[in-house]
Amino acid sequence: MFHLKQSSQSIGAMVLATSRVTRLMRPSIAVSSRSLCTPASGPPKEVQENISEETLNKISGFAKSFEKQSQLAEPKEVEQNYTFASLLRNSKLMDLGDPVGKVVIGKIFHVVEDDLYIDFGWKFHCVCTRPSVRGEEYVRGARVRIQIKDLELSSRFLGSSTDLTLLEADCKLLGVISSPIRAAVSEK
Amino acid sequence: MKMISNCLRQRSLLTTQILSRFNSTAIEPATTPVTEDQVAKTKPLDHPDYFRVHNLFTVKDLFDARVHYGHKEGSLNDFMRPYLYGSRLGHLIFDLDITAEHLRKALNFTAHVAYRGGIICFFNRNALNAHLVEKTALESGEYAHTRFWRGGIFTNANHQFGAVTRLPDLCIFLNTQNNILNQHTAVRDSAKMLIPTIGIVDTNCNPNLITYPVPGNDDTPSAIELYCNLFKAAILRGKEERMKFLQDNN
Repeated sequence: MFHLKQSSQSIGAMVLATSRVTRLMRPSIAVSSRSLCTPASGPPKEVQENISEETLNKISGFAKSFEKQSQLAEPKEVEQNYTFASLLRNSKLMDLGDPVGKVVIGKIFHVVEDDLYIDFGWKFHCVCTRPSVRGEEYVRGARVRIQIKDLELSSRFLGSSTDLTLLEADCKLLGVISSPIRAAVSEK
Repeated sequence: MKMISNCLRQRSLLTTQILSRFNSTAIEPATTPVTEDQVAKTKPLDHPDYFRVHNLFTVKDLFDARVHYGHKEGSLNDFMRPYLYGSRLGHLIFDLDITAEHLRKALNFTAHVAYRGGIICFFNRNALNAHLVEKTALESGEYAHTRFWRGGIFTNANHQFGAVTRLPDLCIFLNTQNNILNQHTAVRDSAKMLIPTIGIVDTNCNPNLITYPVPGNDDTPSAIELYCNLFKAAILRGKEERMKFLQDNN
């Protein structure tokens, strides 16, 4: 992703750079339609690369840069050795910044009557009550938007030497994004 | 070439044995012949990683399973400081390189214990993951104890079970805490009964009594699932080697 930004000289590159193509994203999500047709298997890819190398010599201008950028969008992560420091630096936790007040997407993994247990990629889950609006859609597997108030409910009480944790995060439920119930309804 | 070196090693062991026996009060001479199966038995212990447990996981797997997340700074146990990478806005982060090192040692030990036919007992007091731990123990052919721990199960076993009992040869704690305030009694009891322990220690846990502590997250189900899979794989590898060894010799 970073070398894309350095080489951005043309329109194609700018489109790709703004779409924030990360190492973890699949090539189908990248903007260029050429990469959507890219097969995942080995030999056809090599053939396509060879062909595009030849065509690079023949084409020019926008077409040339389009080819170049669509090749660069394909992640070449066959056997890359990640260091922990680089993984942490590029992780979502660092992207979050100060977690208080940020909106994240979570998934409901357990429901107990009116309590929804939502996992949003952190160490702990959060527990929210089922809202009255569109309440039936909040089932196991539904994706929801939540606003983080506190990542871990822990505080030191008077007289104790260490904090007392509740092993839970504290979040406010904003709304539902997708739900298995809704998907079933729309299919009908 | 290997046979000669093994023989030489055995010879040197014999000579050191004779020398050390000058201090002992032993009566019988120390002339034990080196047999074929003795050479084969010492082979697994000579390797630093006989069961190749380092292939079971990568640092990226640990990262994706959220093993590096710790609690807040307020609940940090002082003894966990060497295992930390740092703190992010009050939330502690484990150094996964150190964790990987410890985890490899723990898995290697588990595989060796399984190879020698030892009983392994899994412990977990977190209700969220109890079923997963029990299932892992069942699938690996070992034992688990995820319920309330009566006081004298290890220390007063003969009395509590009525008969002479064989205690576990290895205790694996996927969660060393009983509840937020107390450590699991079995950690202390295993140390009393000289049972080696492996424990996943979080930032609020005390790693002192545990033989092979593995600093990491013990609250997220994905992390516990990863540990369960790794330990199960190590145990199954050890048992497979044991079956192979027994078949070769019979």
